[in-house]
Amino acid sequence: MTHSLHREGTIDSLEKDYALFIYPARGFNYEGSEPKLRRLAELLYTQSPANMIVSSLRRNLYSGVPREEILASIKDGAKIYCVFNSREQLKKALIRVKEMDEGISVMVSGLIDRVREIASEVGLNPHTINLSLGIQGRTDRIPPSDIRQFTTMCGHGMVSPKLVRDVIRRIKAGKLDFWEGSIVLAGPCSCGIYNPARSQELLKDLVPLYTVNRL
Amino acid sequence: MLIRKDICVGCGRCHPYCPAEAISFEELKSAVDQEKCYECGTCLRSQICPVEAIEESPNVYEYPRALRKYFSDPNAPHALTGIAGRGTEESKTNDVTNRVGPGQVGIAIEVGRPTIGMDLTDVQKITRAMAKAGITAIEPENPFNDMIQDPKTGDLKPELMSERVLSAIMEIKVERSRLGHILRTLKEVAREVESVFCVDVITRLEPGLTIPAEVIRTIEAEGFTWRPNAKNNLGLGRADKRKSV
Repeated sequence: MTHSLHREGTIDSLEKDYALFIYPARGFNYEGSEPKLRRLAELLYTQSPANMIVSSLRRNLYSGVPREEILASIKDGAKIYCVFNSREQLKKALIRVKEMDEGISVMVSGLIDRVREIASEVGLNPHTINLSLGIQGRTDRIPPSDIRQFTTMCGHGMVSPKLVRDVIRRIKAGKLDFWEGSIVLAGPCSCGIYNPARSQELLKDLVPLYTVNRL
Repeated sequence: MLIRKDICVGCGRCHPYCPAEAISFEELKSAVDQEKCYECGTCLRSQICPVEAIEESPNVYEYPRALRKYFSDPNAPHALTGIAGRGTEESKTNDVTNRVGPGQVGIAIEVGRPTIGMDLTDVQKITRAMAKAGITAIEPENPFNDMIQDPKTGDLKPELMSERVLSAIMEIKVERSRLGHILRTLKEVAREVESVFCVDVITRLEPGLTIPAEVIRTIEAEGFTWRPNAKNNLGLGRADKRKSV
């Protein structure tokens, strides 16, 4: 999750991509957090996230695992990760989260200017920021930026560049459509912040540019 | 990870899932290159194998190979910290913990990210450079502490040198006045490593999501820029009353 600040893409694309994290703090509000976290998870499931995972089960929105089973898995200290497609959806969710006032830390990873606007509109006072100063070292060894738009949506690096290329190949071959390809790519991300809706748009842009030979 | 040759049908479906590109064909069956494998478990979790030939290696939790697992599989809580993840809670709970206070900055060095991982020999170049820059204390619950043999030199435990990790996050905290020196050090060591690392700077905000001018000036003075997206702690957390007394 630390890596969510390094999500890459154009500003237009990042305008449709906001990761939200709910994080209890060890030693401060961890014990007894279970009912608060369950209420927050229940709320977020109703706010149309593009993807979502609770750390106690780590099965994403498209896994087929019933929501009741995921909610029942929540214990003290569980974390909730989700991602929204637009600032308006995020804003609606934050209004409700603020109203609930559970006292658990909430993070939003997204365009700084947009988060600033939303925080002002919702009446929040952001406390801390984690800035990305980019990539250092042998940047010649990392995948190209068009592929990194997908792989950086999973901060832990679980979405391999080879899988992105494989999905492009399968779409070009007519074996997957854009949405199905995005769900395949969201699968390895066990933090649930891979945004399949954004991924679908990226695939639509990228697939025509690749030839089978390049895959 | 390993793929059982007696079960594998050689379909190759698992190959693209491996972030390390460690799976290839050997005599028409898929096999995992144990040197390349990070033990991240992505191949197994994907449930892509039609015959369930993928298994965890029997030695995956044996030291020192277990470090690969702890630093590469987000589902595996680190044996030292009990936290699933490569670092700690850093800025995520700073509104409650105040780990990074006013006048301070947190710095996270995400080694091996994005995607390509890092040998621990490379990681040691960074820990040594940090030690030379006067950083001898890493955040207390950061799993990096478990790898360091001598905080004064930044030397890692020698038995770890043949290991590699997909991602590990070294987290430190300094007064804002020292940020420039640390960024300069990171720029220098970036020329020595064979992989990549990402740099994060964590700071308390001023009202209206305003980044302190001193932090911005330092970042710019050292020739860095920051991405337009960032992770923002919205300030909604609080400590339980009984804890905050």
